[in-house]
Amino acid sequence: MPLKTAAALPGLRLEKFDAIIVGSGAAGSAVAARLAEGGKRVVILEAGPARTAADLVSSTLYARRMKWTGPEVLDEGRNPVDFVFNAGFGTGGSAMHHYAVWPRMHAEDFDMRSRHDRGLDWPFGYEELRPYYDQVQQEVGIAGDARQEVWRPAGAPYPMPAVPVFAQGAAIARGFKHLGKTIAPLPLAVTTTNYQGRAKCLWDGWCDSGCPIGALANPLTIHLPRALAAGATLVNNAPVTRVVLNSAGTHAVGVEVAQHHTLHADVIVLAAFTVENSRLLLASATSGHSRGLGNAGDQVGRYVMTHAAGLVYGLFDEDTQPYMGASGGQLLNQDSYDKTTHRASGGFGSYQWMIAQAVKPNDLLGISTTRADLFGPELHTFMKRAARGFAGMTAVIEDLPLASNRITLTSRKDDNGVPIARVVHDTDPQSVALWKASLAEGKAVMSAAGAREVWTGPAGSMHIMGGTIMGTHPGNSVTNGYGQVHDIPNLLLAGPGLFPTSGGVNPTFTVHALAARTAQWLLGNWRSV
Amino acid sequence: MRQSRRDLIGRGAAIATGLLTYAFDGGRIALTPAEAHAAGMPYRTLDEPAVRCVNALGEALLPGSTAAGLAEYLDHQLSGPPADSMLMIKYLRVPAPFTDFYLSGLRAADASARMQHGKAVAELDPAAAAHLAGQMSAGQIPGWTGPPAAAFFFVLRSDAIDVAYGTQTGFQKLGVPYMAHIAPPTRWG
Repeated sequence: MPLKTAAALPGLRLEKFDAIIVGSGAAGSAVAARLAEGGKRVVILEAGPARTAADLVSSTLYARRMKWTGPEVLDEGRNPVDFVFNAGFGTGGSAMHHYAVWPRMHAEDFDMRSRHDRGLDWPFGYEELRPYYDQVQQEVGIAGDARQEVWRPAGAPYPMPAVPVFAQGAAIARGFKHLGKTIAPLPLAVTTTNYQGRAKCLWDGWCDSGCPIGALANPLTIHLPRALAAGATLVNNAPVTRVVLNSAGTHAVGVEVAQHHTLHADVIVLAAFTVENSRLLLASATSGHSRGLGNAGDQVGRYVMTHAAGLVYGLFDEDTQPYMGASGGQLLNQDSYDKTTHRASGGFGSYQWMIAQAVKPNDLLGISTTRADLFGPELHTFMKRAARGFAGMTAVIEDLPLASNRITLTSRKDDNGVPIARVVHDTDPQSVALWKASLAEGKAVMSAAGAREVWTGPAGSMHIMGGTIMGTHPGNSVTNGYGQVHDIPNLLLAGPGLFPTSGGVNPTFTVHALAARTAQWLLGNWRSV
Repeated sequence: MRQSRRDLIGRGAAIATGLLTYAFDGGRIALTPAEAHAAGMPYRTLDEPAVRCVNALGEALLPGSTAAGLAEYLDHQLSGPPADSMLMIKYLRVPAPFTDFYLSGLRAADASARMQHGKAVAELDPAAAAHLAGQMSAGQIPGWTGPPAAAFFFVLRSDAIDVAYGTQTGFQKLGVPYMAHIAPPTRWG
């Protein structure tokens, strides 16, 4: 396979690529696969180390090595985005440890400003993205039951049967049913059957450590092998430090890697996740783009979003087998997706429940941390009880986009001389109210399910979106609807940084749908960019 | 009963699957944290007062932490490259390297114990140590000058749980099937 390390960079400098993809995560690998299969000569530059399936040790401790260990990011504000926890470093990026919960965004997520005079509008609606959702779900494989998922926007049915429900899911489901609420199988990009040569999942709950058997759709499973098979080159330990423009400042001509090597291509796609994409645009400022690339309208870095987690737990007398299943969960509820559902309590926006996540005894999302107040002999007692009677569910709370939530550069520099980034994030009071409403609902559900004890957790941050949002002109966005930077047509962005709104669902399916749309458009318009 | 280092060397294959590595007799040996503690292996980053404080706090946070090798595990993790770190602190917006966070937190705990009780944490009786841990947890602890006390409590508590329950042996103690795809190189116990 054409895998290389930074030692190969001097040789690669002499080559001319059609496309340079910066980042090997969900967005970068998806775009790379499509461009390479479309006949383009592609190189993928990954800042972090090489990883293979053999590196994906089933251990919460080893899993921490996959999280961000690149240049420091100052993670600030009243509600920080928890960058290190949410980001990845190395082949596959953050998607290597993602949980593969792949619901679609809803139609009202795309035109929130028009409908509700809050937040922002996307430059297109759900119907524009729908065929790409359908295409991606077929090629990647999603397990679910579209008929039971009554809230789901229109689209093709799932290609795989729904995920199984284990004891934890059955216990919590009682609460939803008792309160007259609807539940459906959680849509997961995880195999429930042998799918396109991939083995089916064993439901052992190691998704967070990276799935080495190909059951979960991480970049190592699907798109990186496709890209490499089509001739793309992946270079690890190759941190891009600058986008290089032509002398007129009208087009990108290449990227600088680790300050010393410049690689050239016709098209540059930045897919380095939210913070790094913004950092690169800002750090690539020239005399003609004095505020950074794509920043004529002072939009780069703005509207950073994250999903607050509404964490609700219960302790049951029955054996809930909380270690069984997938890390993302077993069941779904989107009864609170209408953005006005919780307006009476001051909340605005959407949320969904991911129900019955498989958990391990330790780790940040493990059983022990849910009762961070316990210590001493009482902690041992709790661990023994909870190991068999624990149940939990997580609300994915929409985060209203605020222009003041922003990625900027600091005066400090990393080892390559690039200013390090600061991310400031404060949650809008309406989103905080929505989070509180989710906890109240969750506690009622857990009690109705028969939990002996019910408690909640703090509002941790899941996913990072925005910062380089798409829109209609430089005054309201960084790119157009294809991810094309407004004033540099052959420089494109990919990933969740493009999202103008977060919705109340996990972002990775939408990241893939956008990447598919961008790649198709690029292949059809190569000469014009 | 503590085992000699030569006893451990002689155990061959079992040692080869250990986690912590040490230079010994011109080669390297690998031990679990509990084995390293039992053998009295030397520390590379933590000094003696820090080790005593870790063990005393560890016993207050999760009894059995000393014998499980909490101090040895921390010392090993803090002595390696931050990129290879498996410590929970990575998630808590503390820039690497993490040694200063731990050492200043341990010094703060000892200083507070001396202010309140006239002796170091390691010399407190179990009730006083538990009270001190409770003060750390609440973030309200007299004489504390270091990283936020509640954050330090959370980090050290998490480390103790990782060592006790985050391994194949730890899962077994709880009756939880481990079900590894790729098993870690040691059972740690």
